[in-house]
Amino acid sequence: MEMHDRKPLLETRDLSVAFGDKTVLHGVSLQLRPDEVLGIVGETGAGKSVLARALIDLLPGKGRISGGTVQIGGHELRQMSAGELRQLRGGGVALIGTDAKSLLDPVRPVGEQVADVLRAHKGLSAGAAHDAAVSLFAKVGIVDPEKRAQAYPHQLSGGMAQRVIIAMALIAEPRVILADDATLGLDATIQVQVLDLLVTRCREAGMGAIIITHDLGIVARYCDRVAIMREGRIVEEGATAGFLNHPATAYGAELLASARARPAPMVRSGRAQQPAKAPALLEVVNLVKHFPTSSGHVVKAVDDVSFAVPRGETLALVGESGSGKTTVGQCLVRLLGSDSGRVQFDERDILTLPDRDFRPLRRNIQMVFQEPYVALNPRWTVARLIAEPLALDPTMSSRTARKARVLEMLDLVRLPARLAETYPHALTAGEQKRVGMARALATRPDFVVFDEPTTALDIRVRAQIIDLVRELQREMHLATLFITHDLNSVRSLAHNVAVMRHGKIVETGETERIFANPQHDYTRMLLGAELPIERYAA
Amino acid sequence: MSQIRNFITFILSRPGAAFGLALLLLQVVAIVFAPLLATHAPTEADPLASLQPPSGAHWLGTDVSGMDIYSRIIYATRVNLLISIVAVAVAFVIGVPVGLVVGYYRGWASTFVMRVFDFIQSFPVFVLGMALVSVMGQEIWNVAIVLAVLFVPIFARLIRAEALSLRDRPFIAAARCSGATDGQIMFRHILPNALTPAIVQISISIGMAILLTAGLSFIGAGVRMPLPEWGLMVSVGSQQMILGVWWVALFPGLAIVFSVLSFALMADALRDYVDPRRERA
Repeated sequence: MEMHDRKPLLETRDLSVAFGDKTVLHGVSLQLRPDEVLGIVGETGAGKSVLARALIDLLPGKGRISGGTVQIGGHELRQMSAGELRQLRGGGVALIGTDAKSLLDPVRPVGEQVADVLRAHKGLSAGAAHDAAVSLFAKVGIVDPEKRAQAYPHQLSGGMAQRVIIAMALIAEPRVILADDATLGLDATIQVQVLDLLVTRCREAGMGAIIITHDLGIVARYCDRVAIMREGRIVEEGATAGFLNHPATAYGAELLASARARPAPMVRSGRAQQPAKAPALLEVVNLVKHFPTSSGHVVKAVDDVSFAVPRGETLALVGESGSGKTTVGQCLVRLLGSDSGRVQFDERDILTLPDRDFRPLRRNIQMVFQEPYVALNPRWTVARLIAEPLALDPTMSSRTARKARVLEMLDLVRLPARLAETYPHALTAGEQKRVGMARALATRPDFVVFDEPTTALDIRVRAQIIDLVRELQREMHLATLFITHDLNSVRSLAHNVAVMRHGKIVETGETERIFANPQHDYTRMLLGAELPIERYAA
Repeated sequence: MSQIRNFITFILSRPGAAFGLALLLLQVVAIVFAPLLATHAPTEADPLASLQPPSGAHWLGTDVSGMDIYSRIIYATRVNLLISIVAVAVAFVIGVPVGLVVGYYRGWASTFVMRVFDFIQSFPVFVLGMALVSVMGQEIWNVAIVLAVLFVPIFARLIRAEALSLRDRPFIAAARCSGATDGQIMFRHILPNALTPAIVQISISIGMAILLTAGLSFIGAGVRMPLPEWGLMVSVGSQQMILGVWWVALFPGLAIVFSVLSFALMADALRDYVDPRRERA
């Protein structure tokens, strides 16, 4: 291909970055050619974001480039004056960050903020810059651009705000786009739209793009080449197809294996042996939960939802943010009151019980929370956290019995006993997640709600947690409601799937059937937005 | 214990905080060893030695009744700090649980309590002080009670604000799922996480209390002569200020300045110490 002959847009040689005396990037050498999309993949702490910041000389705090060179369009970054650097940022290289809303100024209309970039780099008048911004808004898929340009950031959805940020990055026609986890936290369908758009615009304009992510699916779909980072170094680099089929390093192979779905969930928990009419452990019938808003409007978060979870089986409740799936979980464990409907647990309606009578039942109905860290009281030790629910168990009144159970639980979630006396902040995200699971399982419940158990976790940690849940399903014969938007984990864990949208379940069925033969349009759309690496690797 | 040692090390590494600590220790010494440090009895009047300038016999001079200003300043440390510490302790013990409950349960009762606090805080301090003291009498305990009434809303509001944001945090939901009762959630989960700003406020409030005690005495709503109290001493001395007798008002005034300063500096140090953004060694 002729593009290899052209001069690279961006090139680093032996780039090192240090914070104070601590070196966090070690001799990174990279090239980005025109028209090329390069993926940089790594886990938390690999130095991906530091690298992106170093490329536009915007390192936070005490960070500084401690060695090597960065050439952008043939000019050495480290020899540029402050004025040249200002022209470079946004004009030559544009950075798109995570969480678009926090990147926008909350007190100014977004159109004005995008126009500012043009005024700074091209010296356009306010009116001309505004017109250019509005026409670019239309091109990045913002509906009703004229009106949206007048909107303030809080009036936009996450996907819309991310489009505004993309428009802001594109408007001064830079040569290089750096997308640093630009779609983190967006729904899968929105993520695909946003990335499709970004990559298409880059290719049209002959720009180069660097997509920094921890999602190998994104790399597989969008990137020509991929660089794997670990602990501040690039451990492997090459064409994406080559990497997906034959990773050169053990670490690359491990990441790929983690991103793959596990084999279909274990043998069904003997539905054959069970009499066909055996009542389900948990049965939800016509559950309704509405939230009145201050404007008098009603949000139908859960709108007449029914499903059942038999003993020992896992039902995955999938849907995008705002579909009401988390609200269902919170109604089941009575963190929220329900408006109407029944929840039969072990043939008792738990919604009508007074709090006092429901409390003992919490032993059997537990929940694992979404965010690993914030669901743990920061001032409690791990042992105290895990022991808290044991107060519900009358056989656990002695200290020694509780202590033994805590150690047993730590072992169950594969955590070393020495962590019992540590505090949550000293743990990694994966360990925090395990503590949350140990705590929910401490009373040996029959039914557990897992709320987004795999979000906010690194690739390998996510795979470990999925494996752990699989083992727990088998060992403890748990019935679980698995609330998630991560279809990869659904494949690996769930017997049945219920797809939720706008507070209603649009489709239910056995996992294999849903993935192989989705009936509802929305289910098809969700599946279409998934980026499984299996689709791209041989 | 190692927490205290860490805190001391932290203070000594910062000049402002170290100065504050030194001033604080000076006051402790004055309280404990007052009889040894004083050269005269604090209430011993000597009409023949009225309004003496600083000298070898009276290091900081004498006031209009001939009482030794140096000795009175030393003994007044006991009175001023006693009033302030008692007032703040009472306010803390009442304000913290009230703020916790008001922040945890939202409803008309909580709103009512907050309106009462608004009422107390919007009332001019000295008018309120004069009203309460004139009803209850000019005793040091009454001054302490007045100050405690003024400070309860401060502590309650701080804890309430923390409780309001903490009660919706996921770890509280997780605790509820683990079977924690309302009382357990409030006192075991929310309180330990909400206490930090209130602890910093203790030091700030002691400084404020010293100033207010002095202010109340100055306007005649505090303690009465001949009790040694800094504000009262300034008040008495201010009448002679215009005649060029500067020492009667100046020295107790300086005592107020340094005492308030010591608590303000300690509060600053404490705030920085508990700031999670500070890198712990």
